Amino acid sequence: MIDGYKRLMNLEEPPPPKKAKGFFTDTSLCIGCKACEVACKQWNQLPADGFAITGNSYDNTGHLGATTWRHVQFIEQAKANGSRQEQRWLMMSDVCKHCANAACLEACPTGALVRTEFDTVYVQQDICNGCGFCVPACPFGVIDRVPKESTFEVGTAHKCTLCYDRLKDDMTPACAKSCPTASIQFGDVEELQQRARQRLGELKARGESTARLYGMPEGKEAAEVGPLHAFFLLLDKPEAYNLPEVPRLPRKTMAERYGWSAAVGIGFAMVAALVFRGGRQ
Amino acid sequence: MKSNTPHLRKNLPAALPKSPSPARGGGQGGGSGGTQGYYDYPVVRRPVWTWEVPAYFWLGGLGAGAFVTASLAQTFGSADDRRIAADGFYVAAAALVPCAPLLIADLGRPDRFHHMLRIFKPLSPMNLGAWTLTGLTPLAFARGASHAADTGLFHGPLRAIAQLVPRRLTEVLGSFLSLTLAGYSGVLLGATNVPLWAKSKLLGGVFMASALSSGSAAVTLQAARRGAPAATLHRLARLESAASLGEMAILTGYLVQSGKAARPLTTSRFAPPFWLGAVFAGGLLPLLLHGVARGGHGRTVRSLSTAAAMCTMIGSLALRWSIFEAGKDSSEDQSASFDLSKA
Repeated sequence: MIDGYKRLMNLEEPPPPKKAKGFFTDTSLCIGCKACEVACKQWNQLPADGFAITGNSYDNTGHLGATTWRHVQFIEQAKANGSRQEQRWLMMSDVCKHCANAACLEACPTGALVRTEFDTVYVQQDICNGCGFCVPACPFGVIDRVPKESTFEVGTAHKCTLCYDRLKDDMTPACAKSCPTASIQFGDVEELQQRARQRLGELKARGESTARLYGMPEGKEAAEVGPLHAFFLLLDKPEAYNLPEVPRLPRKTMAERYGWSAAVGIGFAMVAALVFRGGRQ
Repeated sequence: MKSNTPHLRKNLPAALPKSPSPARGGGQGGGSGGTQGYYDYPVVRRPVWTWEVPAYFWLGGLGAGAFVTASLAQTFGSADDRRIAADGFYVAAAALVPCAPLLIADLGRPDRFHHMLRIFKPLSPMNLGAWTLTGLTPLAFARGASHAADTGLFHGPLRAIAQLVPRRLTEVLGSFLSLTLAGYSGVLLGATNVPLWAKSKLLGGVFMASALSSGSAAVTLQAARRGAPAATLHRLARLESAASLGEMAILTGYLVQSGKAARPLTTSRFAPPFWLGAVFAGGLLPLLLHGVARGGHGRTVRSLSTAAAMCTMIGSLALRWSIFEAGKDSSEDQSASFDLSKA
């Protein structure tokens, strides 16, 4: 009977699971060339962001959004050192983290957001009805809805697909392919994690004492959203890159929230019963 | 300032972040202590929802509250209470009619509204709400129809059909769905990473209390309009006051728990609608009016009850609207976002 139903509803078997794919973005190698931003836009045919100048260093992208799936940050740091100033410039290519427990996916009421066979998080454009719940649910501010007056896939939610179409053909995602310094590395998540640990060791040995990994299974940032399948090697604390210390997964507090709501409702029902009974004698 | 170019800086904060001035010395990070992020860019995205959502929360809550009040009166009330409060089923049906269109209008792709019901996923409050509204609306209409049959509003075959509705079963099922509808909206907003909505876990309770006070107020309003006996009006007023008191109590808890995250609501441009609309007009004033009406008779009670009920209902709208809109500003509050995600 189930088979009959599947035939009737034209339901296909999901593709068999493959090894988890992801990005390791090593910010210590980033030179801020924005090739990833351009390659992403080109491959995914995303429209331009316009020509606004933010005045914030070389960052005229601002943040990730519905039509911007890679964003290079330019962090200028100056520190007084005696009579002179020490300067350093941090660059980081931000992207959807493809969380193991994705807030956007859990929020999605239509099932448009799914986990693919590569363990990535993907928006099915033919299902999404643009309810907008995933937008504030994401703790990283990644996913966004295209405005209704746009020319591009109007009204639905978008974010990095980890180049799902390229992955299907065993190709490297556009951003990683275009990165000239191997700051963006693509591969099996487990292997990338090994590589990241090794790289961190090297940097620490060279005296980069503030270097750290963000999004590893053992990190505190994985406490709620789980390991990030696109994770980072950072040279400063996460906040400097606008990354939350412990990204929140809304599901974790939902039962308590419903509990308070129910308590008020039950309280009202009890008061109402007393009040109305009082009039009955 | 709205740009004509679709993709031009569409979601940057209204005032573009200023670059860190050299005078700030420490620059970004740099070990100067405190939580300093990437310029003053927001950590999370600004919610894309518009006025339809608070309007729906208000109407849906009001309808749900009216249904629960009417149902409880059927179970526990005197003959007068039952007859008068049953008009609450009309109120519920009327309030629920615009809900689905409002929700559909707010979608990015309204033509795909039915995708909400292609799966059942109660983990997503949005999905739970869509199913609840779908279930409750026909129940409110059915119970309203049976009330119309009882009061002689319906005649002939329509009356015969409406009398087939199992009243008690509809009331029990409908009350359960009503409480879900009244209770999930605050949880939905809380299940985000917007500091004003998510910092305190009490928002669901606040919206529930507001739904029940405005719903019982709507029943009171209708009762006063129909010239209900003073005793029934007093009981409805007592119930409404209890809900308002509960609302003020849990709202206080919500504000205290939210702390600094509540600033976009309490001290910004949304302060007047919040303090004057939601707290004064929606909570304190009706309590005062009902207090004055207590012990009164006839027209005095009716007019005071009417005024109080209208205040409660308007205050409920002010509460939803101000918390909803202030939440959008709160999403751009970088330090509140860092606060929310502290270990």
